[in-house]
Amino acid sequence: MKCETLWKIALAAGLAGLLAWGGIPLFVHRHFDLPVVKGPGVTDVLRLSDFSPRLKGTAADTAVFVLRGKKPGGKALLLGETHSNEPEGLLATLVFIENAVVESGTLYVIPFFNNSGSRNTRPGDGYPLYFEIPTDWGAVKLRFGNRDASPLDQWPDPDVYVHYPERQLLSFVDARNVNRAWPGRPKGPLMEQVTFGGMEILRKEHVDVAIDLHGAETMFPVTNCIVAPEKSLRIATLAALTVKAREGFESHVEPSPVGFRGLSHREIGDYSATLPFLLEVPIPFLDQPTGPKTEKLLLDGKDPFLLSLAKKKKLFVPYDESGWSMDRRVGQHCSVSLEILRQFSKKTPERAIVIENVPRYSDIVKNTLGHYFLNPKTAAPKDIVWD
Amino acid sequence: MNLVMIAYYVITTFLLVLLVWNLVLEKKSRDNLVLYILVMIPLILRLLRVK
Repeated sequence: MKCETLWKIALAAGLAGLLAWGGIPLFVHRHFDLPVVKGPGVTDVLRLSDFSPRLKGTAADTAVFVLRGKKPGGKALLLGETHSNEPEGLLATLVFIENAVVESGTLYVIPFFNNSGSRNTRPGDGYPLYFEIPTDWGAVKLRFGNRDASPLDQWPDPDVYVHYPERQLLSFVDARNVNRAWPGRPKGPLMEQVTFGGMEILRKEHVDVAIDLHGAETMFPVTNCIVAPEKSLRIATLAALTVKAREGFESHVEPSPVGFRGLSHREIGDYSATLPFLLEVPIPFLDQPTGPKTEKLLLDGKDPFLLSLAKKKKLFVPYDESGWSMDRRVGQHCSVSLEILRQFSKKTPERAIVIENVPRYSDIVKNTLGHYFLNPKTAAPKDIVWD
Repeated sequence: MNLVMIAYYVITTFLLVLLVWNLVLEKKSRDNLVLYILVMIPLILRLLRVK
């Protein structure tokens, strides 16, 4: 065999090795499903494609958990993982699915609203592919995704993203950002089909309240807050004041800007009768000037560079050596969501949404988040939804 | 899958075939062989729908 042939074979073997080394973990991550255990309150599991049919068979289709109450009342929708690198929303929705018992009204919960994004990653930023939450019975392993949908599912990106229907010009990367694609359309790009599915749930099921769970950098001004449009401001303000007085944490109110289109807190309010709220908690992991983007930083939120910046008053949230743990962040989401629903129910008792058995901020901080997850190994197969 | 996406995969396949063809025909430059291999990586990952 000639030397050059041997050289080519060696190079091809090297190529195969590189592809396997880099590609297999990404392939496994994209196809990794999480077992979600149906809690005592789950009465139905639908698919987003039931409301936006073109999603069927795509990576963007996802489970919609329905928790119908014993008594009639209002309806609420909880959205997790609109941005899949902000897993506090996912974890809070899982706490609701696995624990909540609805006394009156109906709760719809979508833990992986941007399912495609949760199967994407950001290797250039050194994102971990997975993270684990310790529980009383072991650990829950979850996908860690990216802000935007995978290019494998929506491609190509435009030079400039033109929002539908307002025609506002946005950055090209936001074409795959589900929180710039509201209210969507049934035959639009994939992310618009996702938000169209969300809008159809709100319109067809006559949902009263929609809560979109997010997280934001400590150096970003819109963090640790409830973003609400004009029609939701009263309830948002009452919820913010109540959690501060009763539970001792800050979650101030930010008005939803009228001129910034495509966001859930703007378009849901403008294109449906639903009251939208977008909740932000601080995620140190997302800040740029941090140490390595490790699973530890994601979970405990402790970073020496942010601590130094906090001392120079460069952050928009209080920050000390204790960091900003996942337990605190998920606890805030649970408490603020429950408080919004309580305030809505007080205002409109004929449409009350009463939810029991969901831990609040102090419960999660005291008992840890993992305490509230059910063990899929001891659950009946019919009670497990893979998503 | 929309038409643009299908066209994208057809173009990717075409470029990959060109690269493999050039790799097989290359007789002189080892540098070129390495370059062909490197350029192939994203194309193969895309065709396999990995990244």
